[in-house]
Amino acid sequence: MASAQQAQTQASAEPKPQTVTVTSTRDPVDKSYRKMIRGMERFEREHALAPQATLRFHLLPRTPGVNMHGITLRALGDHIALPIPVADDNTFTLPRNEQALREDAAVIANRKTTSMTWRAQVITPGLPPGTRRLGDLRLECLVGMEAGLVSNSSPLFGWISNALTTPEQVCNSPDGNFLFFSERPIFSVILRAGERSEILPFRMLYAGGEQTREMLPFCDCQVLLDRTYYAPIWDRSWPDDTLVSFEYMDEPSAEVKP
Amino acid sequence: MKRLLALSAMALALGGCATGSNEPGKIVAEDRFAQLVVPGRTTRAELLAAFGPTKTVGFDSGMEAWLYEADAGGGHHTELVLLLDRAGTVQKMRRRPAYPTDKPR
Repeated sequence: MASAQQAQTQASAEPKPQTVTVTSTRDPVDKSYRKMIRGMERFEREHALAPQATLRFHLLPRTPGVNMHGITLRALGDHIALPIPVADDNTFTLPRNEQALREDAAVIANRKTTSMTWRAQVITPGLPPGTRRLGDLRLECLVGMEAGLVSNSSPLFGWISNALTTPEQVCNSPDGNFLFFSERPIFSVILRAGERSEILPFRMLYAGGEQTREMLPFCDCQVLLDRTYYAPIWDRSWPDDTLVSFEYMDEPSAEVKP
Repeated sequence: MKRLLALSAMALALGGCATGSNEPGKIVAEDRFAQLVVPGRTTRAELLAAFGPTKTVGFDSGMEAWLYEADAGGGHHTELVLLLDRAGTVQKMRRRPAYPTDKPR
């Protein structure tokens, strides 16, 4: 009885699809519901990279001054508007809905699409504070690329990039340049696997440190440059259990023993 | 075709947010660097006077990361990285040694 009530409560709490007629034209850089579901399927297929981890999607600021509070999301098709609850930390999961898939729905926020960047978030529970796990980052790259989350400013660049860069090409190549974002501005990033420990070179921080003011608007690191790093996800000499730890700009220097 | 290839190259560079060039930091003597640079005290002007300009990255917060390098032999380099605050004072300093896996330049 209790479980039936619970199920009823859960069912009533779940977002219900609404039937609507959508008259507006989809923005070419809106996120594709189908692609994001494909990203979730990729997560299931490649779960061995992060067996204990769960998948969420994460919204991050892309342009200066964007308000990241009170974001709402919907999957909008020709006749469906599926609400997608967004948590206070701007993460969300995507409910699977056959009608939204059939209608090739777009996932749309109550913000200009180009004002935010989107990432997969794969986190193994129980890691030491201020650390990430390399296998989680490998899976974030594969899911993020499969889901079409990396935001380019120009549809032209997006089209060409997609034609030439598969998730495998991006995530398994030293030149893949898939950007990760830390929680706070970083000063140093250290990899540790067993007895081996290495500090990431400067060129793997801050989007390579090569961005000019003119280039930054094209990069989805535009307002996150000081939180941006590349991880050596392509380098299989670092196992999936490698810990990636951060020294932040706003904390005392740690004693680093490479 | 040439135009498409040019656009493709540009798109790859922009899509990945990297220009492809990795400008190195100015080479300095590590001993002298360690003697002269004191976090909390050394200023931008003093760095420029002692070691000259080098590769820097500026952030919206006003902080700057500076990269100097020291010759570690065999084409390898030790990285000497500084964090300067808005006032131009060194707040943090770190050293990254050359690792066997580094590609020599």
